[in-house]
Amino acid sequence: MNIVCVAACTAGIAHTYIAREKLIKGAHALGHTIHVETQGTIGTETALTQQDIAAADVVILAVDVKIKGEERFQGKPIVRVKTEVVIKSPVKFLEKVADSLARA
Amino acid sequence: MDISRILTPRRVNLALTATTKEQAIHELTDLLYHDGAISDRAAFIEDVWLREAEGSTGFENHIAIPHGKSAAVKQTTLAIGRTQHDIPWETLDGSQVRCIILFAVRLEDQNTTHIRLLSQVASALADDEVIAQLLVENDASNIIRLFSQYAETDLC
Repeated sequence: MNIVCVAACTAGIAHTYIAREKLIKGAHALGHTIHVETQGTIGTETALTQQDIAAADVVILAVDVKIKGEERFQGKPIVRVKTEVVIKSPVKFLEKVADSLARA
Repeated sequence: MDISRILTPRRVNLALTATTKEQAIHELTDLLYHDGAISDRAAFIEDVWLREAEGSTGFENHIAIPHGKSAAVKQTTLAIGRTQHDIPWETLDGSQVRCIILFAVRLEDQNTTHIRLLSQVASALADDEVIAQLLVENDASNIIRLFSQYAETDLC
């Protein structure tokens, strides 16, 4: 599965980055490809490219706040989740996403 | 990046006496205050509680990551504390807290390097090895090394 993700939390200091790491580790463990963009207090880092988004099977928005550029994902399946869910059980969450895509 | 720019042994206390979340935040704030990173303890603590009100900062595996973005912060930094007692804290896995990482962020930080270093410390917390060490390591400089190693290998 090709995944693109945006991570963003309330303060943009801690949870955003823990969520990114957990998603990357979880996705690799399951054999998925993932790109994670962070929108934190220092702004956007590792921004998703047009190509990343075009190639994605699913968009994961691991966000607790409104993010910039959500219109980029129009037409793609989007899964919205709180950062604490992906921090707590990244693998379980990603398995669920894969399941629901397979059923769609 | 060099984590020692924001974290020194003077900002690590591996024997906090706190028995509550309030006391733990106070003890760590004192460390930062006495080391010159914070100008006003009460104002900073108030901003930490503002963030807590938006959702608890309890993590998992006995770790909590409270943080305050505050005008009382002179230098973006962090303090690390390990407690002698279990601290009740709303964590993701229901565990009681033994290690607290307090982030202090300046309101208007022109220097994004420091915030980027904080984000690398946060990233390191996704690593089970780092968490395991945080709960047992008794040497402050080894704790710092734990994060600096991570910051060096993580090229994101």
